[in-house]
Parts: sequence; structure tokens; C-alpha cells
Amino acid sequence: MKTVLNEQNRRNFVAQVESMLHDKLSKCYQCGKCSAGCPVNFEMDYTPNQIIKMTELGMEDTVLNSKTIWLCVSCNTCSTRCPKGFEVTGIMDVLREIAERKGITSKTEKEVQMFHEVFLDNVKSHGRIFELELVGKYKLKTKHLFRDMFLAPKMLEKGKLKMHGETISNLNQIAKIFKDFE
Amino acid sequence: MKLAYYPGCSLKGTSFEYEVSLLKILEAMGIEVKEIPDWNCCGASAAHSINHNLAIALPARNLAIAEKDGFESVLAPCAACSNRLKNADYELKRDDILKKKITNSLEMPYDSEMSINNMLEFLIGVVGKEKIKSMVKKPLAGLKVASYYGCLLVRPPKVMQFDDPENPVTMDELVSLTGAEPVDYSYKTECCGAINSLSKPDVVMALTGKVLYDAKNHGADVVVVACPLCHSNLDVRQKEIERKYEEKIGLPILFITELLGLSFGINPKDLAIDGHMVAADRVLKKIEELSK
Repeated sequence: MKTVLNEQNRRNFVAQVESMLHDKLSKCYQCGKCSAGCPVNFEMDYTPNQIIKMTELGMEDTVLNSKTIWLCVSCNTCSTRCPKGFEVTGIMDVLREIAERKGITSKTEKEVQMFHEVFLDNVKSHGRIFELELVGKYKLKTKHLFRDMFLAPKMLEKGKLKMHGETISNLNQIAKIFKDFE
Repeated sequence: MKLAYYPGCSLKGTSFEYEVSLLKILEAMGIEVKEIPDWNCCGASAAHSINHNLAIALPARNLAIAEKDGFESVLAPCAACSNRLKNADYELKRDDILKKKITNSLEMPYDSEMSINNMLEFLIGVVGKEKIKSMVKKPLAGLKVASYYGCLLVRPPKVMQFDDPENPVTMDELVSLTGAEPVDYSYKTECCGAINSLSKPDVVMALTGKVLYDAKNHGADVVVVACPLCHSNLDVRQKEIERKYEEKIGLPILFITELLGLSFGINPKDLAIDGHMVAADRVLKKIEELSK
């Protein structure tokens, strides 16, 4: 593991994470219960307890570029089981948000990140999700045009894919929410 | 009591069967709900994954509208929607500064006085077991049903305040009311992979496969859910999972509202059961045979 070179940078990073998280990193005593119960641990490069420790050590670049933060599905098993009541799921949200604000694109998990972005664009345009447009734009962006396409005919036949989306009347209010908080 | 209904986007699209069946059973029980006017998407997992404030502001707009219109309670049948609405309410109660920012942006006040219910909470708490029991005309005795709760109905417990997060039983209780037999199995609160269905299909199939094979190995005829995301992952991806693991599953996935509707004697077509990817014909046939 890379050691911490700059104590001031470490403190700034920890302070930023803790203020967004409403929780203290030092609560974690590294028991590993979060990582043991994590349903997607088999795909991660660092386990959730390692992410917590590395954040505390100020290893900003490593955690913000980790696969783990994007693979976490926010199932909340970790936070529910944490004997210290630490916001384990919350830290993943916080680290994703910091990565996003810094314009860091995940090298290996960019599709997860893109899905979130395309999803929010869809909400911004209509106020509601228009699934067909969401999937179409996601496919164009990721260039996975044919993946899952075999599902489409049967989904259409079953009436699961609507050809028209709904747009809310007060779209101005949604635009304002995005302007104020994006 | 004035009851608001927040359908959310999935119930108007890929999970239309959930909306059709829930409105049908509410109608049968004489319970009236009103859609929140001009509701917007709650932001689902995407918003909280990359923008905390947006993840509170988007659901807060729906809650503020419902409160302004004098509703006392909100039904959010989608587990993800109910989770996000409850999260927004929780954050607005604990963070005054954020609350001020959000109510200013919305130009609407919000007092956090409504109760927010997921489908199971609504059925048990608002409708009541007695009422449901009195509606059962066609008991499903002999049918083995695995209840799949997934994550968002019960976790995080401090925000959801619903059932036991490790061993929830509410849906099993509803299954028992229909006369069917609840199946005990190990994966009822394991995650299905949720929002990563499109971006990480292999991971989603690994997780969903565990749930389906375990339910099947414990003798389930059918799996019931109360979440459109769980439904999509278990139903839409089931054929692919069978191909991937080279073992047949063939488990129909029903919404809890559909199972209740069947026990009320409602025609399966009126519950949109033919809208699923995995056909429920075998289960419907078994129900007919059992009722003879």
C-alpha cells in the first residue's frame, strides 16, 4: 500500500468525507463484517473495510479510482450489520459523488457510472423515466448496442416496453431542482 | 383517511403488471387511493449514487405536493421509491440546513407529517389482516410460495422502520392469509443486483441465480415480490440464467398483489399475470386443480 505523504491533504480529505457522511471514519475497528456479507465482494478490487481504512489514511486517488465504489449496489447489508453502526453504504455514495465532481471516470466500471448519468439526464428531460429512451441512450453511450437486444421482442410482445414516455407538466420545477443541486 | 398513491416510473412501464394488480385488489377491497398530481421520478439509485442533495430534493417534491394536497399517508408500491421517499423524509427531519435549501428550491413547505408506506406495510398496517382474510374466496392451499424481500424494503432499518432486516416475515404472513404455504429458504433478503442490471448483467445473474435456485431447491412453485426491480431481475433475466448455469428453473415470479388477487378469485388476466416473461400457466393450473 502507498503511504501517506502529506498530512494536510489527508486531513482535508477525511474532513470532506466525514462532513458529507455525517459520520466518523474512526468508528470503524476493521472487523470486516461489512466485507464478509457484501454480495458483490467477489468482483471488488478492495473490500469495503479496506476502502474505509484507505480513506482514513488519505489514499484519495486509490479509493476514488477503485472498482469497489462503482460495484457497490447500495444493498445496505454492510451498514445493517456493522457492530459500530458506521455508514458503510453511505461512504460509497460519498466517494462516488466526490469522484463524479472531480470528473474522474472509472477505468473499469465506467458503464455503471454512465448508467447513473444517463438516468439522471432522463429525469431532467421529462421529470419521469422514459425507459426506451433511457436504454437507447445508454446503449449509444456505451456502444453496447446489441447486448440484451434479444430480450426486446418478447418484452414488446408482453407490453413491457412503452413506445411513448410521460413528461410532467411542471418541468420548470424539475429544471430548478437540477439547477440548484446539480 | 386520505391516501396518496405514488406509482413511480417502473409501474408505468416494464412493471405495469404491479400497478394493474394492485389497483384491482384495492378496488375489490373498496379502498380508494389518489395518484399524487404531477409526480416526478424519485431519482432511484442513480441520484443517491452520485448526488446526495438531488436524491433528497427529487422525492421531497412529491412529498411536499402530497402534503399540500392534504394527504395523510402515501402508498409507494415500488420498494426503491418507498426507500427513497423515506430516506428524503429522514434526511429532512435531521438536517435543518438542507431542509431549508430544498424547501426554498421547491417553493413549498414540508412538515414531515405523513406516513410513507411500502406495499407490505400498506396491506398489513392500513388495510389490515382481517380485511384481507375476509376477501379470500379461493384459498391457495397446497401452493408453495417463496417470499423474496430483497434489500430496499427492509434496509437500512433505522430509516425503513419496517419488519426484521435479517428475517422479515410480513410477506410470508400475507402468503399464509391466501391459504398458500410459505417456503423457508436462505436468500430472502439477499440482493438481486438491482440497478446494475444493464451495466453489470453477469454480476446480476450471479446474484439472482442464487435466489432462484435456492427457492426452487426448497420446493417453491412460485416466488412473490414487492419490488419492480427484483421482479425484472428474477423474471426478465431468468432464461439467460438458465442458459448460463445450464439448469432449468422455470419459476414464475408474481407480485404479492397478484397472489392476493388470485386468492380473491380475480381472473388472472385482470391481474396482468400474462405480462410476465416466465409464463405462470403451470402455477395457475395447479391452483385450479387444488381448488377442485
